[in-house]
Amino acid sequence: MDHDPAVIAGVSLAIEAVIAKALELSPGTQGRLKQLHPLDIELHCTQPSLRVFASIEEDGGVQIANYRETKATVSIEGTWRDFSRLASASDPAAALINGDIKISGDTAPLMQLQAILGELDIDWEAPIVDAIGPVLGHQLAEVIRAILSGSTTAHRRMKRQLSEFILEEGRLSPPKQELDSLFTAIDELVLRTDRIESRIKRIRKRASNLIGVVE
Amino acid sequence: MSSQDNLTDDTTDFGFERVKTAEKAGRVREVFDSVAAQYDLMNDLMSGGLHRLWKRFTIELSAVRSGQTVLDIAGGTGDLAAKFSKLVGADGKVILADINAAMLSVGRDRLIDRGALSNIDVVQADAQFLPFDDNSIDCITIAFGLRNVTDKAKALRSMHRVLKPGGRVLVLEFSKPTSPLLSKVYDAYSFSALPAMGKLITDDADSYRYLAESIRKHPDQESLLEMVEDAGFVDCRYHNMTGGIVAVHRGIKG
Repeated sequence: MDHDPAVIAGVSLAIEAVIAKALELSPGTQGRLKQLHPLDIELHCTQPSLRVFASIEEDGGVQIANYRETKATVSIEGTWRDFSRLASASDPAAALINGDIKISGDTAPLMQLQAILGELDIDWEAPIVDAIGPVLGHQLAEVIRAILSGSTTAHRRMKRQLSEFILEEGRLSPPKQELDSLFTAIDELVLRTDRIESRIKRIRKRASNLIGVVE
Repeated sequence: MSSQDNLTDDTTDFGFERVKTAEKAGRVREVFDSVAAQYDLMNDLMSGGLHRLWKRFTIELSAVRSGQTVLDIAGGTGDLAAKFSKLVGADGKVILADINAAMLSVGRDRLIDRGALSNIDVVQADAQFLPFDDNSIDCITIAFGLRNVTDKAKALRSMHRVLKPGGRVLVLEFSKPTSPLLSKVYDAYSFSALPAMGKLITDDADSYRYLAESIRKHPDQESLLEMVEDAGFVDCRYHNMTGGIVAVHRGIKG
């Protein structure tokens, strides 16, 4: 164990508190998680070296631990970069399959977990209403919702415009079709080169046999 | 220096003081009688809440399962016992033991408030003479208690006796910081800030001065590891936490 267990325990405690709060605001999710008990997931980060275990408790709660002696239901192994890529991917399932992350053990409950988390619907308005009352709380929630929605639209628009600028106006990157056609041409060239190489080998072999017969 | 060495002239350490061996338990009791009511609050203040993280890792190392019997020695205010109570479930049992009646009383009241007493027995017991059958306990923990025991080696042997074969002991205790710089900061904190905080909160600077002194007199990581091995435990190891300020030692009864 390379890291200070107290630090890991602190981080685990904070993550557990966040998950517990999220589950409290989405009671249906906790009920569905209950069905996955006793699921034990081992997250093994190889670089930097760190092992963390997440388990689904009998009541549907999630517990994070730094040390376990029992074998996990499913083990996920990768570098910190792999895990960050997975966490920020728009399609985590595709990122998991296409990435460098190794999975061993029973993956079926992991897929179920992913489906449950995909349906996570956190009622974040509830704590605001609890804190400042229903009238003001709801108004504030509406404002936050409008800001979030506006920023999402603005982000999407900006992404599209940036992509158009890079491709069309700035000509900083070739269009995808051109790249695809270039890669296909390269693949064909590689195949042809391989065929020529093996042909040369065959000719050389035949030539050396002929020289042997003449001698 | 092991506690066995301490006992050769029938005196032992009480912080930086030398006292008669027979007197130590009484002196320690006075300290804990004085701090019992504010013990958890002081622990939080003194460690900045870190004692909860140290205990959390100790519980993870215990690998306790449902149906097992756990003995928490020097369990005082019962925070570890409450956690173990959930882990062992209705089929298991937790024994909260402490030599100090005042600490046990606070602990029992807290456990009643949490509704956690159904599978917890509260026992006033001396760690050196554990009143339990041989080979009857699955896991023993002693958190921040061993340094107050008069004869630590005897206590460890007593724990070995009552543990089932394959059972484990976990000793969570203050230890020696691994960095000299941290050691200096820690010394300054222990001997200046700690008694001042004790004075402010419990109006008892002396008890907290004793706590700081007893930490310095406690064996370091390697010496304690040797003591655990000498008591008959196998597969012994320790984990430093917070730069070695605290270490948790683990031993298995072979």
